[in-house]
Amino acid sequence: MPGLRDLQSRFAAAVFEEDHGRFAVEVRAGRFGGERLLQIYRHNSFASLTRALEAVYPVAARLVGDGFFRYAADCYIRQHPSTSGNLHDFGDQFAAFLEAFEPAATLPYLSDVARLEWAWHSVFHAAGHVALSLEQLAAVPAALHDRLVFALHPATQLLVSDYPILAIWQANQPEAEDLEINLAAGGVRLLVLRRGLDVEFKTLGAGEYQLLRACADGRDFATACAAALAAEPEFDLPGALQQHVLLGTIAAFHLGPGPDSTVTPQGITT
Amino acid sequence: MLSPSPSRPFPVPARAGIGLRAQHYRDVLEQRPAVGWFEVHSENYFGAGGAPLDYLERIRAHYPLSLHGVGLSLGSADALNRAHLRKLRSLIERFEPALVSEHLCWSSIGGRYLNDLLPLPYTEEALVHVCAHIRAAQDFLGREILVENVSSYLEYAHSTIPEWEFLAAVATETGCGILLDVNNIYVSAVNHGFDADQYLRALPAAAIREMHLAGFSVNRYEDGEILIDTHSAPVAEPVWALYRQAAQQFGPVPTLIEWDTDIPPLAVLQAEMRKADAILDEERHARVA
Repeated sequence: MPGLRDLQSRFAAAVFEEDHGRFAVEVRAGRFGGERLLQIYRHNSFASLTRALEAVYPVAARLVGDGFFRYAADCYIRQHPSTSGNLHDFGDQFAAFLEAFEPAATLPYLSDVARLEWAWHSVFHAAGHVALSLEQLAAVPAALHDRLVFALHPATQLLVSDYPILAIWQANQPEAEDLEINLAAGGVRLLVLRRGLDVEFKTLGAGEYQLLRACADGRDFATACAAALAAEPEFDLPGALQQHVLLGTIAAFHLGPGPDSTVTPQGITT
Repeated sequence: MLSPSPSRPFPVPARAGIGLRAQHYRDVLEQRPAVGWFEVHSENYFGAGGAPLDYLERIRAHYPLSLHGVGLSLGSADALNRAHLRKLRSLIERFEPALVSEHLCWSSIGGRYLNDLLPLPYTEEALVHVCAHIRAAQDFLGREILVENVSSYLEYAHSTIPEWEFLAAVATETGCGILLDVNNIYVSAVNHGFDADQYLRALPAAAIREMHLAGFSVNRYEDGEILIDTHSAPVAEPVWALYRQAAQQFGPVPTLIEWDTDIPPLAVLQAEMRKADAILDEERHARVA
């Protein structure tokens, strides 16, 4: 008689078709053979995990079609098994998986579209945060500005792609008109953010992206400014900073140890 | 902003409630339908913020709430997932649900999740194990949980205890409540050829805190049929009959209409709810008379 762990491990192996039909002997003889009954469980697990992927990646699914998506999902489920009892956690590696997925090699933008959809999903479920006011920022003496370390709102994500992934995403929304997408239109830098309960996208210039990227990476303001101006010498830095405080992208700041220190502060305090 | 949110849980009344899904958030807030209570899947609110929690907070201000988990994997030979339990505990602290339930099943092993409600072998070993997990979960959460019987499509050759005795023993030994899923009893009774009446008679009435009703679908093969618990259809007639019998035996208890696939308009769920309420009312009158 198998112990509980042995039984469950072998049941799971049967669902993932790793056991060459050996589990069926543990199934009580009845109207139907064990393999057919296991097939019901196999179908249920794969269907529920595939539905979870479809819910997060509707545009990727639409781009490749139902049959291809189910095939990709089936491979992904086997290679990256679910590790959470919460299905909303499932699919975090799907973009990287698609990037390496040989049958999708003819769609080089697909993995970046999937990255955008995971960013949307993450932002949708992310924590809220009280807004920062320009007055709080104005109260910081000018001599300390270089030491400011800005934190982005928890419900923000930054993305960069060589493909027009926002246009692709927009053209593949349920209510969208048929649009021609010019893949040669070039790449895009994107901010995904939540305003109220709605997830929105904002395209970013090179300087703006570098400024926010440096903040997201925990760099101090002096370093962030240098990165932004290196990417875009004409960049309107004060204007962008003010805009992103008002927009809520930048949600907090604290004072770092300054340029003399090698320590990069990580915490967020307001 | 004035918040009508109560400082303690509204009890869930012995009336019919509806499984709340995202499609119906706006209708519920705008129409405030006469629904006894709502139940949600706990894991749908495990996120840190955003729309799901915001809607649930607003709906919770007007209706009693039950949290129903699908992912705790109480019957797994793995240790209980502490991160999952912590999220459930903070959800309970925030929303003060009147009822918290999970399934008498397993869904993960070796850290790999199948995200399905898988049947336990009904053995002494599994009984001791799942009771220890239920006690640990109740201790961690600081409250009683209810456990629900699941539908199943296979039985294990080495099971030694009938499912109804196993379920009754779990409640007796841990002090947990029973969420009796009447549709699941019917589905499993047809699939495995046992007597649903015998199932009901074996259960301790005092432990039954809630019942579930849902629709199943049928897998048809050349040599027979298997009923599948899909929550995708109206409650079937034989399940209503079994529910009437359960209500007679256990008295009026909160009863949920579940519908999770091909979700219909709220009005369809309300019509199902009224059928359950009519049976609960009959039972209440019969007891007074």
